[in-house]
Amino acid sequence: MMDRKAKMKTAGLVLVILLTIAGGLKVGSFLPVIGAHETPANIYLSNYYIENAIQHTHAANIVTAVLADYRGFDTLFETCVLFLSGVGTLMVLFSKAKVKRRLPKFRKTESHSETGEMISEFTQRGSYSSGILDASFRIIMPIVMIYAIYVLFHGELSLGGGFQAGALLACAYLMDRISPSFESRMGEIKEENMLIVAGLGTFLYAFTGILPMFFGGNFLEYAKLPFCALVHGGVAGLHAAGILMIEIGVTVCVMAVIMTILEVVLERTDFDDD
Amino acid sequence: MTEILDKLEFFLADRGIYMLTFVLLAIGIYGMVVCSNYMKKLMCMNILQVSIIFFFLTFGQKEGGTLPVALAEVLQAEEYINPVPHALMLTAIVVSLGVTGVGLALLMKIRDIYGTIEEDEITGKGGGK
Amino acid sequence: MPVILLEGMLLIALISIAVSIIFERKLLACTVIYCAFSFLAMLLYIVVGAADVAFTEAVIGTISTVYFVIAIKSINRRCK
Repeated sequence: MMDRKAKMKTAGLVLVILLTIAGGLKVGSFLPVIGAHETPANIYLSNYYIENAIQHTHAANIVTAVLADYRGFDTLFETCVLFLSGVGTLMVLFSKAKVKRRLPKFRKTESHSETGEMISEFTQRGSYSSGILDASFRIIMPIVMIYAIYVLFHGELSLGGGFQAGALLACAYLMDRISPSFESRMGEIKEENMLIVAGLGTFLYAFTGILPMFFGGNFLEYAKLPFCALVHGGVAGLHAAGILMIEIGVTVCVMAVIMTILEVVLERTDFDDD
Repeated sequence: MTEILDKLEFFLADRGIYMLTFVLLAIGIYGMVVCSNYMKKLMCMNILQVSIIFFFLTFGQKEGGTLPVALAEVLQAEEYINPVPHALMLTAIVVSLGVTGVGLALLMKIRDIYGTIEEDEITGKGGGK
Repeated sequence: MPVILLEGMLLIALISIAVSIIFERKLLACTVIYCAFSFLAMLLYIVVGAADVAFTEAVIGTISTVYFVIAIKSINRRCK
């Protein structure tokens, strides 16, 4: 039987759902019909973006064009917010002492066999080693990293972009970090250093914005970037180069922030089962 | 049978989807109010974020539109889904991960100081170690 | 437009999963249910046509689930 608290919880939930359904029936009458072509969101600005994105930026993926070119200023500060969240995580938990290392540590032990040969082998105290996990991560991880690089450099033409590439790269590190591996393949990276890398990524973004200002342009005006000799395609090619530069910045920032949060939370967790 | 389906589709397109989205939003807020565990509050906040992101994405839908990746032979804006809400919500999702990280850090700090993350136990103790 | 019907079904599934998160008492089970929630949210974004957003949600949902699981190790696993 449910106790009184659970009963009250259920009753409150039913009440809230009924109220929201009643409110939704009323509110829905002044929101546009889903799928209609002549809604306010669909007729003013987006048509311009869709029809001109390829001529302006050489980016077939219109979402990337909007994100990195037309609305690059927004994305700059979104990246800053992400960087600040990494800083905040480290600052909140910085005073807490690191607990001792809980992931299995391998020690080299040496013994003599019957014939007198020296046998050295890696042993491990914890019991949660898994050969299948180890082997499968060994296969999956390089593929994930190659896919991340593909998503980064192909983000203008197909689905993807800086955010996804950074998250995928961080995923590869995360697999390496949480799987009980025979030996750490990437090694640990200190979270303070990781945060510096995140700051460098954000700086690369801001630098891409500042660079045209030395050549007579505005902030983030890709057409004034000094890469005329390197790219072909005129102004649109310069836009593509600018988009690629800020995507690299976003990738580095996202990757480093995710790794920072992972390291901070993982290093300072008290495990209760050993 | 098809008549009923047509009516249902029209109802959903007119206001049904908005209604269900609002229900999801209300469940998120209700969970944040009712659950006394801070980690569950954090999960309910993520539910709320998903509902808001979906609410924005519904504005971009067009009947018969394809993905906003430009094809060489199609250039009319009518043919593509509106890409502006997608670009806005893409950053919102990534920022939500940062929010989750900061929330978890605060949660572990609270657990360090009070020894528990249940809200009623913490308020019952009156603060401090 | 059958896409609308699919959206409605996925939203109802999301609502039921959200309710089960509120009433579940084990935090680890909550986390696993949350993983399913973000997966269904990804399907919903694909149905809407936002493939970029769905891609991001797929990766971010995995990473935030891992964060929750790591943080769960340090706290009491049951809640009221």
